[in-house]
Amino acid sequence: MTSEANLPEDDAMTLSDYLERGGKLTSPENVPPRYRGELLRLMSSFVDSELAGSAGFADAINWAPGLKERIAACRITLEKADHAERVLDLMGDFGTDKALYNKAHSWSARQERDAQVDPKRQGGDMRLSVFHYPLQGWIDAVVMNFLMGLATVHQLQEQVRTSYQPLSEEFRAILPKERRHMELGLEGLAHVSQAPASRNEAIGSIAYWMPKVAQTFGPAQSARFDRLKKMGLRHTDNETLRGAWTADADACLAKLRLV
Amino acid sequence: MARFHSLEVTDIRRDTRDAVVVTLRPDAPDADAFSFIQGQYLTFRRDFDGEELRRSYSICAGLDEGCLKVGIKRVDGGAFSTWANEELKVGDRLDAMTPMGRFHTELQPAAAKGYLGFAGGSGITPVLSIIKTVLAREPDSTFTLIYANRQTSSIMFREELEDLKNQHLGRLSLIHILETETQEIDLFTGRIDAEKMDLLFKLWIDAEEVDTAFICGPEPMMLTIAESLRKHGLTDEQIRFELFASSQPGRAKTKAASRAAAAAAGTCELSVTLDGTTRNFQMQKDGMSVLEAAVANALDAPYACKAGVCSTCRARVLEGEVEMEVNHALEDYEVRAGYVLSCQCIPVSDKVVISYDE
Repeated sequence: MTSEANLPEDDAMTLSDYLERGGKLTSPENVPPRYRGELLRLMSSFVDSELAGSAGFADAINWAPGLKERIAACRITLEKADHAERVLDLMGDFGTDKALYNKAHSWSARQERDAQVDPKRQGGDMRLSVFHYPLQGWIDAVVMNFLMGLATVHQLQEQVRTSYQPLSEEFRAILPKERRHMELGLEGLAHVSQAPASRNEAIGSIAYWMPKVAQTFGPAQSARFDRLKKMGLRHTDNETLRGAWTADADACLAKLRLV
Repeated sequence: MARFHSLEVTDIRRDTRDAVVVTLRPDAPDADAFSFIQGQYLTFRRDFDGEELRRSYSICAGLDEGCLKVGIKRVDGGAFSTWANEELKVGDRLDAMTPMGRFHTELQPAAAKGYLGFAGGSGITPVLSIIKTVLAREPDSTFTLIYANRQTSSIMFREELEDLKNQHLGRLSLIHILETETQEIDLFTGRIDAEKMDLLFKLWIDAEEVDTAFICGPEPMMLTIAESLRKHGLTDEQIRFELFASSQPGRAKTKAASRAAAAAAGTCELSVTLDGTTRNFQMQKDGMSVLEAAVANALDAPYACKAGVCSTCRARVLEGEVEMEVNHALEDYEVRAGYVLSCQCIPVSDKVVISYDE
């Protein structure tokens, strides 16, 4: 790499052209200011959501009805914190103070179950709004983990194409683990759906979480999406992703007769 | 967070008419911090007439050479590269941050992998580090390098590459593409374009044998090559880029304005530039941050943590005086260059001009 280059006319290309045509940026050294701001915001939202998700799911360890479920809950709690750290390390390359960042917010803090949380961010905490709602018990945790896990899989499948190569690589490594978390949720749900009582509880939880997870895909019309698309940081629009997730979730739930 | 350390120049070797290879040695306590991964780069800083310039150069040494080396090609009008080529001498000291960059794949000594590298001009430097390391540490892997230059005399590391090829017979294939020089094979003359890539795949490269492709060169060349690699069946996962040139402007001279001063009551005329558009408005000097004022005026300024930690809201003060309450994310040199964390930035003067676009 050299950051001091003077290219002949025919080699010159603006960075926005390069990004629009699918080019990748590779380090903080070659990232322009606005791109930097948007990229850090994306990473921050991911890190905060994973940290809040992990902190919230920690309770599920002690709700777990059996040893297998306990191990699954431990694993989800651990790996989500690990995913946060991987992306926080990338933010560190831009100057983020990792130790302080971890202490910036109370990741386990939640609002009331019936609160109306604005889908926009809450202050400096960038977690997705769904992570402001509390879990109540094992079945609720299983439902939330499956629905949000599936949303994360859809969101990450898009994000692995992001134009910041180091982030795209981390997301590629994280995706199979997040998929596994979703599958653990689905396995739990299959178990829960067998007894009438737990089944009814699950249906209630699905009704509670479904619209909240749907909101995590963002507004249908988004000026930010257009801008991020130009920078190659996003590719598929919010509504398309939400539609794919809804169809996927509905199919899984129908199979378990949970609708 | 990376900090600058002082390195000693222990050797300077002229490689081509306008490129030098500089060998550097960290002081003993810093030695561990400067152990690197093949393909990483060093960021240097130096003062030129009161203006601090930062420049990044890839390490061109392999992991087993036991030293740090960077190749610096002189660029017309490039202050740092001209100085390095003309004035830098053995015994001088250079400030550098510890190695950074992710242009590599994990080494697997037992693996037999096929690597394909594309380098344009001085884009060879990180690729050379990878080639040397892979040949030494993965004895069953092979590397094919396609190396584009204007003419023979401008090829950096030409002899070193030939030596490597002879030393590791059958494991390093070397294809020089020369823009302005006729070669025996027509395919090897001119610029790398889509048609040439098709021919290379048809005649010289078996796409199925390629595990990973590394590309380092000018942006258009990288796009052309990446597109062709995908067309011939490589996945995004298999293609690794390193940007050759940066479009980021150099740091300018504006003096920092973060001197502590009590914010007098009153109002401040704030001018904020974001995405090329400048907006002017008044804000109360009552402890409100510049970021809050910008957001309150419907500007979509970037921010995340609002605690002076994450650096998302970084902006530059072009005029006026501000006070930064907390700063955990900016380096000293950034503060000196006028950068602030706008979430922590309280106006002191009656007029402040700030830009998110620098």
